Amino acid sequence: MALFLETSTVLLRRIKDIRPLTAKRHRVKGKWATTLPKHPPTRLALQHFDATYSAQLGDLWPSVRVALLSERKYGALLNNFCHSPDLEELQAQGSAPLRLHQAGLWPLAAVNKAPQGETIWSEFWSIMPDKFGLLSYYLMDAASVLPSLALDVQANHTVLDLCAAPGGKALALLQTQSARFLCLNDSSVSRTSRLKRVLHSYAPKELLTDDKLRITSVDGTMWGEIERNSFDRVLVDVPCTTDRHSLMEDDNNMFSRSRVGERRSLPRLQAELLLAGIIAACPGGEVLYSTCTLCPSQNLGVVERAVQLAEENHGIRLQVVSLRPLVRMFQNTFHFAPDLHLGEMVVPHLAANFGPIYMCKIRRLA
Amino acid sequence: MNGSHLPSWCLSCRLLCSASDQTASVSSQSSLRLSPVLSLHSLSDMGFTESQAGQLFDSVSRLKGASAAKHVLSTLTVLFVLGLNPTSVQKLIDKCPELCMVKETQLQQRIQHLRKLGLVEGSLQRTVVHYPKILTVPVKSVKNVVQFLREKCQFTTQQVTEILRDSPAVVLEDLDQLEYKFQYVYFRMGIKQAEMVKCRLFRFTMEDVRCRHVFLERRGLYQTPDKKGQTTIINPKLDSILNVDQHTFIVDVAQASAEEYDVFQKLLAREWKEEELEHGSIEADSDEEEDDEGEEPDGKSGYKKKKKR
Repeated sequence: MALFLETSTVLLRRIKDIRPLTAKRHRVKGKWATTLPKHPPTRLALQHFDATYSAQLGDLWPSVRVALLSERKYGALLNNFCHSPDLEELQAQGSAPLRLHQAGLWPLAAVNKAPQGETIWSEFWSIMPDKFGLLSYYLMDAASVLPSLALDVQANHTVLDLCAAPGGKALALLQTQSARFLCLNDSSVSRTSRLKRVLHSYAPKELLTDDKLRITSVDGTMWGEIERNSFDRVLVDVPCTTDRHSLMEDDNNMFSRSRVGERRSLPRLQAELLLAGIIAACPGGEVLYSTCTLCPSQNLGVVERAVQLAEENHGIRLQVVSLRPLVRMFQNTFHFAPDLHLGEMVVPHLAANFGPIYMCKIRRLA
Repeated sequence: MNGSHLPSWCLSCRLLCSASDQTASVSSQSSLRLSPVLSLHSLSDMGFTESQAGQLFDSVSRLKGASAAKHVLSTLTVLFVLGLNPTSVQKLIDKCPELCMVKETQLQQRIQHLRKLGLVEGSLQRTVVHYPKILTVPVKSVKNVVQFLREKCQFTTQQVTEILRDSPAVVLEDLDQLEYKFQYVYFRMGIKQAEMVKCRLFRFTMEDVRCRHVFLERRGLYQTPDKKGQTTIINPKLDSILNVDQHTFIVDVAQASAEEYDVFQKLLAREWKEEELEHGSIEADSDEEEDDEGEEPDGKSGYKKKKKR
């Protein structure tokens, strides 16, 4: 479904200029002085990033900046439940399959072959439902599968995804089929229903039964009051300033004037969500925190704060788990930020225009 | 080439001034006697060596149609009178054999017009040798381009002369494309006419200019100046963006890697293709447009801004 949505936006974009279709007497002339905002959110975002990231990333920032402002690359998450084209066929079409795990149970993401542009969805093979009505791939930022992989779900684990919509990462989790029980939550009802639609168009009904999957729609920060100490793995993929979106689209932009308050309170919300995730994990369980921003106050800062809060208020001791093995495995596909003292970050680069994605994994000791 | 040529120019001018009378008379005789048939003999009479005459013969015969080479002798005469030596005349005809199809009076008119536009002896000859096609363009179209540069782009007469001298190819460019290029550099890059002329802007293609500029802009190294001409960073000079080879540009100016620029060029080419699909082909702003005002505030696609008068 998500894919259909994407298709339709692309179609819409093609005929964005509807003036030739409107009768002349109905045409409205856009006025420079009044119609357009003086400072569009995308520009505000760029100014903000210029100020903060140039100090944070230093020499790396110009490269990241030009990548963020240019066309992004996509990856196709292959649907294991659907009869999808053979890998050889994909390679012939110019996609480089990215084997995510040797065992074969893991999801496969096809990443279009290195740099040069052959990246937009239409250049993957066409998407058609098979005879059970399942779609063959899910289009997403290829780096977005990393958090699901980093979670390292083992057989018989119970898994919680605290902010699951629109469903890319949840789908990647589902593809592994290793989790005994999957609990997906998102605070917004409309987003939850979208998540349901995505799952139903990609996974067979047997996997979506009540004993294997639960989809809820409650405020994630309150999760600790519902269920404590019960999940082996928790994925906390929080709402953030979504750097790429903020730079490219004026719609629904975190940097618009009306959302200043919301943006300022993001780090607090993120810390609360992570804390709720930590509380929901059982002792010995692991929590993965991820965002799609480069901003340190929404990444490292949040992790540090949540760890501190957990120790002070709840007496939970935590330990950071290194993601180095994962980074080594994918360092040829993604650009990782060098020397981050906490967690790992995929930074966009023109030759591998994925991300940004920040990940940090923590284990609950007691 | 430029510097070392000047003295020899003067010399050949002087030599040929006297020689041109002869050649003129020779050619008038030969055209009388030999009619339009071009012979190697008559060419060597004019001072061409045997191999030059042969090459000249080849380039003329490349023209299609029997009547095509009707004006060969008169064209050669005009070029000699202009003060060119046989070597450069041969090279010139080789570059642009179409010149042999132009009538003598027209050639004279066009050369006269270029003189009137301020191309002095020396630079006139250099321009003609460098870009012989300029003599195939009717006086009227050259006038149009000059008027366009003066009125739409507000270059001074002196600057127009310099543009014609340094980038004579403007006379054959599409005026809409030319205006788009000018407006792009003037508004998006915030560069005044004097600097454009100094950097020989019109020698570069729109793609080159835009690709390098957008690369810098997206890397955060170039800003469009505001109304007062101020920027928060110091923009690199137009000269250091355009008049350097690609490697120097990437490494020194953009501080990037060759791989990045390579990918970027391809991505940008695609962006333009999509843009053209959306907006039709690129076009500069006309003054009496009806419904195209300001749909892109950041000017990322299709350059649309009104020029202040």
